[in-house]
Order: sequence, then C-alpha cells, then structure tokens
Amino acid sequence: MENKKIIQFRNIVKEFDGQVVLKSIDLDINENEFVTLLGPSGCGKTTLLRILGGFLDANEGEIIFDGEEISKVPPHKRELNTVFQKYALFPHMSVGENIAFGLKIKKMNDGVIEQKVMKMLKLIGLEGYENKDVTKLSGGQQQRVAIARALVNEPKVLLLDEPLGALDLKLRKEMQYELKRIQKEVGITFIYVTHDQEEALTMSDKIVVMNKGEIYQVGTPVEIYNEPENRFVASFIGESNIVPGIMLEDYKVKFDDKTFDCVDFGFKENEAVDIVIRPEDLDIVERGKGKISGQVEDVFFKGVYYDVTVETVEGTSVTVDMEVVKEHEITSADGKEKISANDFYVDIEDMASLDEKEIIARADAQAWNPETDDYIAISKIEYDLKEELGSYSIKFSTNSGTAIERKIYVIDQPYVRNEKANEAVSAFNFYKTVEEISESVALDTDLKTWANAQGWKLNNEEESVDIYVSYDFDPEEVKEGKYKVTFSTEGREFKVNTTDFVEVGTEVDLTFFPEDIHVMKKRVF
Amino acid sequence: MKKISHLAVPYVVWTILLLALPMVLIVFYSVVGEGNTILDVSFTIDNYKKFFTDKDFLIVLWRSVKIALETTVICILVGYPIAYFISRSEEKYRNLFILLVTIPMWINMLVRTYAWIGILSENGVANKILSFIGLGDVQLIHTQGAVILGMVYNFIPFMILQINSSLSKMDNSLLEASQDLGADGKTTFMKIVLPLSLPGVVSGIALVFLPSVSSFFIPKMLGGGQFFLIGNVIENQFITVGEWSFGSAISVIMAALMMLSMYVVRAIEKKNKVDRGDD
Repeated sequence: MENKKIIQFRNIVKEFDGQVVLKSIDLDINENEFVTLLGPSGCGKTTLLRILGGFLDANEGEIIFDGEEISKVPPHKRELNTVFQKYALFPHMSVGENIAFGLKIKKMNDGVIEQKVMKMLKLIGLEGYENKDVTKLSGGQQQRVAIARALVNEPKVLLLDEPLGALDLKLRKEMQYELKRIQKEVGITFIYVTHDQEEALTMSDKIVVMNKGEIYQVGTPVEIYNEPENRFVASFIGESNIVPGIMLEDYKVKFDDKTFDCVDFGFKENEAVDIVIRPEDLDIVERGKGKISGQVEDVFFKGVYYDVTVETVEGTSVTVDMEVVKEHEITSADGKEKISANDFYVDIEDMASLDEKEIIARADAQAWNPETDDYIAISKIEYDLKEELGSYSIKFSTNSGTAIERKIYVIDQPYVRNEKANEAVSAFNFYKTVEEISESVALDTDLKTWANAQGWKLNNEEESVDIYVSYDFDPEEVKEGKYKVTFSTEGREFKVNTTDFVEVGTEVDLTFFPEDIHVMKKRVF
Repeated sequence: MKKISHLAVPYVVWTILLLALPMVLIVFYSVVGEGNTILDVSFTIDNYKKFFTDKDFLIVLWRSVKIALETTVICILVGYPIAYFISRSEEKYRNLFILLVTIPMWINMLVRTYAWIGILSENGVANKILSFIGLGDVQLIHTQGAVILGMVYNFIPFMILQINSSLSKMDNSLLEASQDLGADGKTTFMKIVLPLSLPGVVSGIALVFLPSVSSFFIPKMLGGGQFFLIGNVIENQFITVGEWSFGSAISVIMAALMMLSMYVVRAIEKKNKVDRGDD
C-alpha cells in the first residue's frame, strides 16, 4: 500500500459568530483512499469539507494539498471537485452539457470533450442520456450525473457531501457499492461526508469519527467497530452494550459487582472505565452455565436474528400509597369561586428548597370560576413550617377570600439504595381525587410528579436515572381508597443478537469470551 | 365549496363591467363610422385604413416603439446590476433595498413626473448644478432624453423586482458547483447566473415595454409636445378631436401590437428551451 499523503489538515479552527465549530483539526488523508468523515449533524464534518473545497475560510490553520498550502487558493483553482448534497446540477443544461461544463471551461477541444463525456456516461451507467434534460431524471440518475460532472475533470480528490441523503434505502445501498466501484476504477481519493454509520462501514478504507468539532477516532472500519476508543464512538457505530466498570489490574475488569478476565491492559490500577460488549458477541446459555445471570425481558424478531434484551441486574423500586379521596374542593359563599388542594408529604431534607411555588405545585392548589372555568390566581399562602418532623397546617386563599386548609406532613423519607446497580430511588405517598386521576392525560408522568418520584446514581447524585411507573388500578374505574403505585428503574440490561429464540421471562445466563470485552478510557471532552 | 364559489360572483360582475365591457366597446367603436346612434349602426374599416395610410401616424407609432425599446434596454442595463447587488446582499439588508426601490411607487406617477419638470426645467436644479460646475445652461426638458429618463425612472422598479426575484430564487450551490468545476466569477455569471435569470428579465421586459409604448403623460409633460407618442394621439382623438372611433381603432392596433410582441418574446424563450433539448 502506498502511503503518500495528499491532504494534510493542520490545526484547522473554524468559528461561526463566536461559536466554535471546528476545534483544531489535524488530519492526514492518503492517496487513493476512500475516507469517510462520520458524525452526527452539527459535528463539523460538512464545514471541514467546505473548507477543503474552498467555500469557507478557516479562522486558523493550514491545508496542505499535494505538498502545497492552499488555504488562500480560490475554489476554481483547487484540483479537487465536489459532489454536492442536493446535486446542484445546472437546470438549463442537458446531461451532456452538465458533464462537459468543467472541460469547456478548460477550453478543451470539442472532440476530446465528447469522448470524455461518453466515457463518463459509460462509467455511471447512463449511456445514451447525454441529451436528456437533467430536471427530468430520477434522484439516483441525477446523483450519477453529479458524480460524472465532478469526475470528468480528473481531480486528485473527490469530495462528496452526504450525496446519498436524498435517496431511498434500496437505491442508497446500490449507490454505496456503485460509489465504491467507481472509486476503485478511477483510483483517486474520495472524501465522503455522512452521518450514516452503516454507509461509512460499507464503503470506507478509513473512517474519521467526528463529534462537537473534534475528531474522536480515526481508523479502518474494523478498528472503529471492534476497538472504539471511547463511549461516543462505541455508541455511534453499531449497537452496543456500554457498561461503567473498574479496571482492577491488567487483564482484570470489574462491572456489575463481578470481576471478569479481559484482554485489555495499560490502564491505571482501579481506573474507572467504560466497557463495550457488542450484542452479537454475547451468547445466551442455560442458567448456571454462563458468566452473568439474568432474565429475558424482550424479544424482537429482526429477520436474520432475534434482538433479545436480558436484564442482569434488577431495577430498584419503591412502592407508595396513593390515597384516593373525595372531591376536596371548597366553594365560596357566593358560589362564584372554587378552590382545591391536597395534603402532601415532604422529606425533611427537601424542606430547605420548599418555596411557595413548590408548595402550590405539590399541593396541586388551584382556584377557578365554576361558571366560566377560568383560573383564578391563588394570592395568599399562610403556613408555619418548621424543619422538624410532624404535620403542619397550610391555608391557600384567593383575593376575594375563598380559602382552603390542608396539611403538610414532614417526614424522614427512606429511599431505596441499590449498590449493585449504583442507584437509589425515592417517592412519597400522596392524595388525589377520583377526578384528577381519571382526567389525567399523561398519568405516568402525573403520578411521578404527584409522588415526587426520583432516581439517581449513588456515585453522582446529580445524574438522574429514568423511572418507570406501574400500578394495579384502572384509571377509568378508580374509586375512593388506598392503592399501591410502584416506581422503579430499568436496572442493567444487555442487548443480545442471537439466532436462537428464547421466551420472554426465561431465566438465563449470558456468556462471552475475554476478547469480547473491550475496555475504553473514560474521556472527558 | 359551492358557497365559496358564490363569493366570486361580484368579482366576475366587476371584471365584466370594468374590463371586458370596455374592451368590447373599444373594438365596437373602432369598426363603426362616425355619427351613429344606437339604433343605426354601419360597420366600416375606414378607421384602420386611415391609420395605416397616413404617414404621420406611422412615424408616431415607430417613434413610440423606438422610445419604448430604448427605455426597456436602459432598464435592463441599469436594473440588472442593481437587482444582482440586492440579491447578493445580506438577508437583513435585502428587504431594505427592495423597500428603497419600491418607495417611489407609493407616490402618484403624475406627482413624480411634475417633480422631474422642476428638476429638468431651464431654471431647475439640474441646470443649476451643471452651471455651477461650469457646464453652462443645457436644454434638458422637452428633449427625447427627458422623455426616456422619465420612463426609465417610472418603470425600472418593475424590472429590478422581476430580475431580483429570479436571482434570489437561484440555489447558491449552483454557483459553488460552477466555481468547483473551475469557473471564475465572470464565467460563472455568464454561464450560470445570466441564463438562469433570463425568465426574470423576460417578465421585466413585458412590464416595462408595455406601459412605455402606450404612455402618454410622460411624453406630454417631459417632451413638451415635441415628442408626440402614440398614447398622445389616442388621448387627443378622445379628448380634443372627439373622434372616438379613430381613437378606438388606434387602441385596438396598439393592443394587437403588444400581444404580438409578447407572443414573440415567449416564442423566443420557448425556442431556447427546445434548442437545449436538441443539442
């Protein structure tokens, strides 16, 4: 393999209105390579391509093209051509004229131009289309013409800016192979921008993964897939199970409270790391025969394989009482105002952050005009709260004096800790009326709010954990009384791709080889 | 749906009363002799004969067409760069520029034309400035130049707006593609921008040429009767001479001429398209 560098980006910085889109990009691109710039939208990949094409100026840095600095060279003098996102074919020219455009500008002999155009049409499989109107072509055909129009100039490098984005899935797959074939046939460097990881894996010799204006990893498709350097790359390329863990020593990693052999080394002792296990590297075996035990949660049929979710660490859950009470609204003497609120529980630790806004929200205090249904502001809240356990009265009133009195119970709320899953969950008992429950549009969310249900990581209280709600009453049919509501977290789940079917609910073990574990440094960007 | 279509009835009545009926009447007047009553009508083509056999009228017609053509060409030459500048300017300034182009149209055309008389007259502002820089008194008003100036001034916004709208619609990536393929700024303009903005130029031509060829107020005021155009002839026939039939006949001839010229322009446009296909 020859490794002559054709393009070198040196410390490229680009800002738009003070916002940094490219943070010091350094990148080398070799001759005859199919290089893909891969990343989510807004990662700077198109900006980098446009800087190379000459349509944008970098704020800092230099671009060395074939040994020469070209930052100041205008686009029409750069020896590269671009295939634009929406093709940008000239609508007033035929297919042939579009392809011949660059050659005519170079004042090439007409006979030569015609020969070259014909050769290109053959390359892209559109022979006989030279006199067709470009606006009458299909998306895939326009795409091919755009490629031919660029390639006919025999550039050293072809830039392609998400060229397949507008095509449907099937055509896109076809064009992927087509592009790869064309690249091999003409033997020049292709720089291809896309956000589609599958496209990148299929076509590239080298993938440059970008995010937030930085390069996160450069490597061959196999390297990028099997040896992602960080969490972002692992989650962006393919599906993966990413688990936080600790590297105890070389070849020993601990996650989910268990220690496993692995092939990774060179980390500090007890360094916190991220661990990737690809779904296809996990195998489901009988209980007792694997490395991690769990239960099958979901099975989806994907055609070639089943996508199985196995829960290995149970979620953390808390069950609270929901007391369904009678209507608790009060009507004013003249019948023109109604006011309602409910008793509520509050944790003694949360007392400090309990302000009037919070009290109104937690008590769900509302006042309204029963005739027009218009809301009336609650203008006065009287209460005498101490940072001590006990029950306290609180009075909400409106301007015209309609008032309702409720209780706040200050309690020392125990929360449920789950060391294995590194998380904790808390929730409170609460009071609601039949109407409030049956009229709720998003009951799960409302239940979480009413119970003030929260989940967080034990090692970082700022990081919240998603909470799921379950209950055994029918919201349409609910009557006065006490009901149980359970708030729980997801626990640890592994995605497994397997060709063998398993029943949901089966107790299984998961097994894998040490080389299937890939340990990554936690990188702070 | 039926109810909504009923709403169009007043509009249809209005169109018939104010557009179709006058047209029919003009055609009718143009083919009847003088002194007819409603009951006693005699058809004739004498009015048309009179126009085409009188050399003076043909000279006036020729002069009108010539001045209108000159006006149109100047409007393209001056309007295109302005429209190009507006379409290339930043979005936030673009609306301001368009406003500046259209503001004069908020004032009545007669008032604006009178203003030009003030500027161009013997003791007007223009002559004062010229003599101040030592160019002396120049006859500005009542010249063909004054008439053309007045027309360009009045009709150029239509040209600018039409060209600007076709330039603004153009996809910027086409210009980038052209540069990418090796074309410098000038070549990109000649090969991409200009051809793609031609439809705007064509509608601009229609909007400038048609009112120019039939205008009568501007030549009367700024030409001072020396640049008698076909519009003035028609006006005279109706108001001074009182020969409604002859006036109508000239109007019909003008209408036919305009329709013909529009047809020619469209045909050329179409031919360009077909040529492209055969290339």
